[in-house]
Amino acid sequence: MTTPDPLKARRRADAIGCLVPLALAGAVVALLAATWPSPPEGPRWRGAGDAEPRSGGTFVFHHEENVRTLDPHIAYDELSGMAVRLMFDGLLDYDMESNLVPSLAEAMPEVSDGGKRFRFRLRRGVQFHPMPGHPEGRELTADDVRWSMERLLSNEVGSPGYPFYSAIEGAGEYHEGAADHVAGIRVIDRYTIEFQLTEADQTFLNAMAMTFAYPVPRENYAHWGEEVKFHPVGTGPFVFESWERDVELRFRRHTRYWDPQPNPDEMVFQENLNRELAALLFRNGDLDAIHRQSPSDYRFFRDAEQWADYRDEFPRVSTFGIGLNCEMEPFDDVHVRRAIAFAIDREGWNRARAGRLLPAGQILPPAIPGHDPDLPEAHRLDLDVAREEMRLAGHPDGLPEPITVWITGQDDTARTYGELLQHDLAQIGIEVRLRFVSFAVYLTESGKPNTAPAFFTGWNMDFPDPSNFLDILFHSRSIHPENSENRAFYRNDELDGILDQARSETDRERRLGLYRQANAIISRDAPWAFTYNPLSMELWQPYVKGYEPHPVWFEDYRNVWLDLPRERLTRRLTGRGASAPAVLFPAMGAL
Amino acid sequence: MMDPRAWRRFRKNKGALVGGILVVFVTLTAVFGPLLAPHDPNEQLRDVLLQDDGAPVGIGQVEGHPLGADSTGRDELSRLLYGGGVSMMVAYLATALAIFIGTLAGVTAGYFGGWIDFGWMRLVDLMLSLPFLLIAITIRRVIEEPQLWTLILLLSVLSWTTLGRVTRSKVMQIRELEYIQAARALDMGHLRILLRHVLPNALGPIIVLGTTLVARMIIFESALSFLGLGVEPPDATWGSMLNEGRQQMMSFPRLMLFPSMLIVMTVFGFNLLGEGLRDAFDPKD
Repeated sequence: MTTPDPLKARRRADAIGCLVPLALAGAVVALLAATWPSPPEGPRWRGAGDAEPRSGGTFVFHHEENVRTLDPHIAYDELSGMAVRLMFDGLLDYDMESNLVPSLAEAMPEVSDGGKRFRFRLRRGVQFHPMPGHPEGRELTADDVRWSMERLLSNEVGSPGYPFYSAIEGAGEYHEGAADHVAGIRVIDRYTIEFQLTEADQTFLNAMAMTFAYPVPRENYAHWGEEVKFHPVGTGPFVFESWERDVELRFRRHTRYWDPQPNPDEMVFQENLNRELAALLFRNGDLDAIHRQSPSDYRFFRDAEQWADYRDEFPRVSTFGIGLNCEMEPFDDVHVRRAIAFAIDREGWNRARAGRLLPAGQILPPAIPGHDPDLPEAHRLDLDVAREEMRLAGHPDGLPEPITVWITGQDDTARTYGELLQHDLAQIGIEVRLRFVSFAVYLTESGKPNTAPAFFTGWNMDFPDPSNFLDILFHSRSIHPENSENRAFYRNDELDGILDQARSETDRERRLGLYRQANAIISRDAPWAFTYNPLSMELWQPYVKGYEPHPVWFEDYRNVWLDLPRERLTRRLTGRGASAPAVLFPAMGAL
Repeated sequence: MMDPRAWRRFRKNKGALVGGILVVFVTLTAVFGPLLAPHDPNEQLRDVLLQDDGAPVGIGQVEGHPLGADSTGRDELSRLLYGGGVSMMVAYLATALAIFIGTLAGVTAGYFGGWIDFGWMRLVDLMLSLPFLLIAITIRRVIEEPQLWTLILLLSVLSWTTLGRVTRSKVMQIRELEYIQAARALDMGHLRILLRHVLPNALGPIIVLGTTLVARMIIFESALSFLGLGVEPPDATWGSMLNEGRQQMMSFPRLMLFPSMLIVMTVFGFNLLGEGLRDAFDPKD
């Protein structure tokens, strides 16, 4: 028997030692490949088959950004709107055909004095949610409506909604602190309130249906002060329960809701959940509805037969663009702004995002009256025009300094949009630096003067009227020290005049003519470089009933009820959204 | 100085040789990648490299783009080649800087002892108590206009500590040896002793640790880029490409597979090389 040469053995061990990690890595890859997560092709659970609507269950939905505030007087973005719509009601609301209908008001208001006086009668027995001092809630009265409107119009609150209501008599004096109350808001009796306008305003009733005008109880504001945005109290179908900042909001069903309807017992609104993850959770049955998809997920859902009955695809009444701050260099030069507007390859963006970005060259989307499909001033890709504008701006070889563009989100979607813009503007010699910020930061900071030089932005309609795009985004009245909605800080007396005239014009054709004129001016001056009108696809689980995408409100889940199958209910008991669902890792499920 | 037997030992170690070859290969592609790359890595050929429904073309579907395209229609091969260059440059520069700081700390602390030693070691304790990723994320978020050199600086400042400690203990050993005593007796200056006699003898562990540090830097850079805190868009590194590929993971796994394979290969190579060097420099065999 020979003794093995220790040196040789050592060398062999070394050789093996180097192979072991390789083999291990191989084994891990093989294991991963064998158990590669493959969520089901179709819906994981179907409904139990109850035809009768009923309450119960937990509805889980999401958004990829974070909610900024739950104070309806400040909230003016789609996410906060999603939460606010669950907890609050307005005097008026919209039906599925975008018509105004009464909600907290018993009926549509009586209009008199040539369209300048509106008298609302409140529904009786409308209950606020439980709040400090009123553990059982209390009834809504006309005084609440007046107090809410006055808070909204006050200068301290600085609501971005103020311009919508400035036609109310005495609103200006009150806003400036010259009066203790708004003269034009009169409480007639416990259930009747009257609004007097100084001049006819075609959009006043639309404004009264906006979330700004949702009545809130003054006791709650007195109790919480500045902190009220974390402790909302309204009259809506859901009561606020908790908010873990940047993670999720929870709501439970309001059992004393004035309009009893079947609803889930609990609503969970997950924030900051990116769209790829959301799509996977949704396919796995852990999320009940999704509304934005990455191009690959979009292609999957569009082609998946099994989802055909649970999806809806429609153009959103929104316009997106690159906001250019007209008070900051180099965008104070109209030629630089126009050069950017004509350098963007909208068709290319559309292709890169799977055909869901319909090219836009003007602020008014196609569904809004006043949109002109043949607008000569409309933005489009034309590098000759763009280069000529750069020459007129005195920068024939491009800008000497890079520009900083703000973009919301940290994820790959934001990065992709940023890179699309970088690529296009490089063609005219503009270098783009991207600054990634959260949606809440974007909303707060870009509303202040001289802060955000350029930014990805967009506008969803609040109501189907051109004034909702033109007035709010480009009138100099929308510029404030904070919470400006005119984030481009664009000032043009000519435009202001046209918009003011249109606001009180009663002849529909003449009014639309004025808005067409305003629309053309905005494209000409390019405070935004318009990019696209989005095509949207929403999906929901088969057991989600009573949901249909609303033409005015985005992701409005207040009428949902759940026809929950038993498996889904069982899982609810073992913990919502079980962290490692068995189907994602079949090997683990077998253990 | 370096032991001639070390090279013989190193050559006999097959793992180290494999590692060495991987490292040389990756370094060469990183250096010459931009010359080899067939296209501009940031040019979006939206008409050519995206299909009608927006899906990027795959491997070998379009001539001249052997690895297909990413989701905005950029040539995948060119991005991998350029991305490797950036990844490797960050890793090498950050390591070089970390070695410089660590060696300076270790040599002065070990040689002089006393207050200098105390000062350096408390600094090391402090640095070790910082959670690396959290600090890196915080600083990257606070800096208004992050650039490549801030990333390099950040990575090196946060990772010189182990090297400093090991060097210090080695130098404390050397300090007591006869030839140092002799040098002192000959009235040599501190600087000369340090550079001519202490440092060369402490070089072994520094080289070994430095090699494995490169591997760790590549991982850190990838991690930060994956979190969107690495290089600025539109430039690519393997880490950021991994992040971009994640979105398409289900439909186009190759976009994630290529960069991740390269990262694994590189890190593996550096670790093997480091192991081999350690064995080679360790005479107790």
